Amino acid sequence: MARLSAAELRERLRNDLPAALVEPAPLNLKAAPAHGAQAAGFITTDAVVAPERLVAAALYLRDTLGYAYLSDIAVVDYLADGLFELGYRFYHVEGGPSLVIKTRVPRETPEVPSLTPVWPGANFHEREAFDLYGIIFTGHPFLRRIYLWDEFEGFPMRKDFPKQGDKYIGADE
Amino acid sequence: MAIHIERGNIVEVARGPRKRRMVPGSALLDGLAVVWTHWRESFRMNRDFSDIHGTFTQEYPDEQPKLPEAYRNMPILLYDDASGHELCTSCFQCARICPPQVIHMTQAKDPVTGKPVPAVAEFIIEYDACMSCGFCAEVCPFDAIKMDHNFELSTVDHPGLTVHKQELLRPISYYQRIAPTFWAEAEAGAMKKLQGNVKRRPDVIGLAPQLTEMLAARRRELAEQAAAAPPAPAAPAAAPAGEARKLTPEEKAAKLAAIKAKNAGAKGEAPPAAATPPATEGMSPAEAKAAKLAAIRAKNATKETAPAPPAAAAAPSTEGMSPAEAKAAKLAAIRAKNAAKNAAEGSAPPAETAAPTAEAAAPAAETAPLDAKAAKLAAIRAKNAAKKAAEGGGEG
Amino acid sequence: MLKTEELQINIGPQHPSTHGVFRMLVTVDGETVIDLKPVFGYLHRNHEQLAEQNTYLQNMPYTDRLDYFNSMANNQAYAMAVEKLAGIEVPERAEYIRVLMVELTRILNHAGALGFLINDMGMWQTQLAFGMREREKILDLFESASGARLMCNYFRFGGVARDLPPDFLPRLKDLLRAMPAFVDEMERLLCENDILMQRSEGVGILPRDLALAYSVTGPVLRGSGVAYDIRKAEPYSIYDRFDFDVPVGTVGDVYDRFLVRVEEMRQSKRIIEQILEQLPDAQGGHINPKARQNVRPPVGDVYARIESPKGELGFYLVSDGSTKPYRYKVRAPSFINLTPLGDMCRGYRVADMVVILGSIDIVMGEVDR
Repeated sequence: MARLSAAELRERLRNDLPAALVEPAPLNLKAAPAHGAQAAGFITTDAVVAPERLVAAALYLRDTLGYAYLSDIAVVDYLADGLFELGYRFYHVEGGPSLVIKTRVPRETPEVPSLTPVWPGANFHEREAFDLYGIIFTGHPFLRRIYLWDEFEGFPMRKDFPKQGDKYIGADE
Repeated sequence: MAIHIERGNIVEVARGPRKRRMVPGSALLDGLAVVWTHWRESFRMNRDFSDIHGTFTQEYPDEQPKLPEAYRNMPILLYDDASGHELCTSCFQCARICPPQVIHMTQAKDPVTGKPVPAVAEFIIEYDACMSCGFCAEVCPFDAIKMDHNFELSTVDHPGLTVHKQELLRPISYYQRIAPTFWAEAEAGAMKKLQGNVKRRPDVIGLAPQLTEMLAARRRELAEQAAAAPPAPAAPAAAPAGEARKLTPEEKAAKLAAIKAKNAGAKGEAPPAAATPPATEGMSPAEAKAAKLAAIRAKNATKETAPAPPAAAAAPSTEGMSPAEAKAAKLAAIRAKNAAKNAAEGSAPPAETAAPTAEAAAPAAETAPLDAKAAKLAAIRAKNAAKKAAEGGGEG
Repeated sequence: MLKTEELQINIGPQHPSTHGVFRMLVTVDGETVIDLKPVFGYLHRNHEQLAEQNTYLQNMPYTDRLDYFNSMANNQAYAMAVEKLAGIEVPERAEYIRVLMVELTRILNHAGALGFLINDMGMWQTQLAFGMREREKILDLFESASGARLMCNYFRFGGVARDLPPDFLPRLKDLLRAMPAFVDEMERLLCENDILMQRSEGVGILPRDLALAYSVTGPVLRGSGVAYDIRKAEPYSIYDRFDFDVPVGTVGDVYDRFLVRVEEMRQSKRIIEQILEQLPDAQGGHINPKARQNVRPPVGDVYARIESPKGELGFYLVSDGSTKPYRYKVRAPSFINLTPLGDMCRGYRVADMVVILGSIDIVMGEVDR
């Protein structure tokens, strides 16, 4: 069974792909004021790579380390920090725990290179991320909304998406 | 790439030559054999759960399905068969946990004082949006909300699925019938809590609204009580009994302050008039008012002190109390005795004038409280009155 | 040679063989599928957004509605994620009960799924009725334990909602006695059946490397010959205490997926038998943690996954230290298993397409979320 910890992965990446790894800043994940004390900053232990080196890092995981199985792409909207974080989760086909590489993009220009051309399994994950968060995956062959209809405006999973009202009816009615 | 698996093997599913008999019609014969087995078995009666074959038809509307105790469909509220009181105290736990937020309720208020009462005024569950998760029944600390087994809920109109308190209420005996072991587990705690809550419900608040007879009886009873109360002499004695239900923390604090002031006065450290005003400082207007009221009452009580009898009245009421309560009552009795002693030392004459009130207080302690808690409360009250009397006596 | 023209047709959304409101935009040349694009979202309710508005416990009944065939498995994945995040210990007995419920779920899911698959092949209703009959018996057990047949809502953080009722284990033993007969009968009836063989052999082949690249999971992946079972690959809960085999296919066609599912039912039964042996010795503990209404995990993120009957079901949670999750992501197996549908159907007939879809075993509640 392949057992590579997050720290070991960071070490490997530092040696083999020195340009890819970035030092993650602690996230100011803000709890709602109604829930008492402010949460402390959240520092991830996973390897964070620069968005432009994402494909290289993912291919390194697959081809060199053997983590060929892309399980999940999870987007998190850190509104207070002004960024989206994408977590790519890989597994080794022989078993063992996962390896995660994360990448952070600013909320204004959420562009990430697509993994779909080299990894067809990323297709629906990326379309889902585009649909709900508006992440643009450059190089995706068919980046269209997957759940919502094409005319839908806005990205409903973003933290600043209005939770009240109906924009098709308008505020007056 | 060999995948290593512990405690088990990787088996390749067999799709080899065994599957390739290819005798024309063999699969058909196999299928017919299965059909034949089932047909034959269908004549056998279904003995128990393990019977894979046999008849399973349940003639539904005529024959009601046997539902397990844990079955949950929609939430209902319970009321006590004997007293007619609802178990719900409107603590809002269920409304808070409800995932689709379909439980709404308002708390009952005392019509006289406007203080909240541990009973529910209106309770609404939107059955149409309820997801039957059962969290409400799980979190209810009073076992007042339970999951019903009735699944025939169709209505002719949509508002019919917004169910109000009156339609939600079921007697405990109903729940006991559908879930006997669950109720047996919950019964002792639920009934004890209910007894405590009933004491704090004035008027007819907390009685199930559909029990019209019970409501009417209770109203009659209340009217009789009001009529039976003697107008002038018994009034001060009746007051504590009536107060027993609506004693709020503020009132308690105010009374305590007044008592302390009196004590200080009795010891001669300072005149009571001077000691009382500082105590009222920093109180809210309501508290100040209550404090004043308490002071006036204490003064009144001095005119008709009852030093010894309260202790005597408190003693028999310890029967049927829990150990903790009995202890508290005993403590109260001892204190009352002490206070009476003090009063007797201070001034003998008021003790004689107090005799009628003592008589009035004793029945009040016997009739009004149904259980130990109330008796305890009465004992405390008696003690307070005695103390006040003693203080007043010392002062006078 | 006859000149043909390509034609785009819609199969679904309201079509009895698409397993829910699911649309396939198919380009056909005559009867041959040239291209296929799955279109869905008709059942989309933004489950993840909804979950961010609720407390951790309030989400538990919503997970039931993801894959409404396997509510117990969904509950387990979610409960595991929250327990990992908040550091809650689960008593041993509760773990046994959980695994027992999830393995029963696997049996009932496969019994139903195979029934629907056979239904799609044109062997109308017979096997489906047999499968549903078995499923009913397990649902009866679920009902007696959890109170509901489908939306069980049985798991709590650090335990289960209530202990097993007294008649549960005897009934379960009865059920297990009858279970092999059902599987054997199904094998006898179907595994060598001409119709099934002709409709499934060599149809919808998903080769091993393609299956990995598409990150499909569950019986679809194992049918393609990859022995990847999360219960073995990354044992969670108490799965390292049981002996069971991992069935794999060799070709990766519909027939292999069918056989893998049949064998998995046997293996699940094997696990349940071992649970029944070990359950009486399990440490009891407080298996019904009523007090954990307001879980407030520390700041952090967590991913927990289980081998649900359909594949890898994972929950990714980010906590901001409050009682509500900051991010709640479901990695739904049905959704990802649909990714290779276009490739699997390419070159086959329209009628095969329906069978291939049936062999993936999707539930739209989970796909659309």
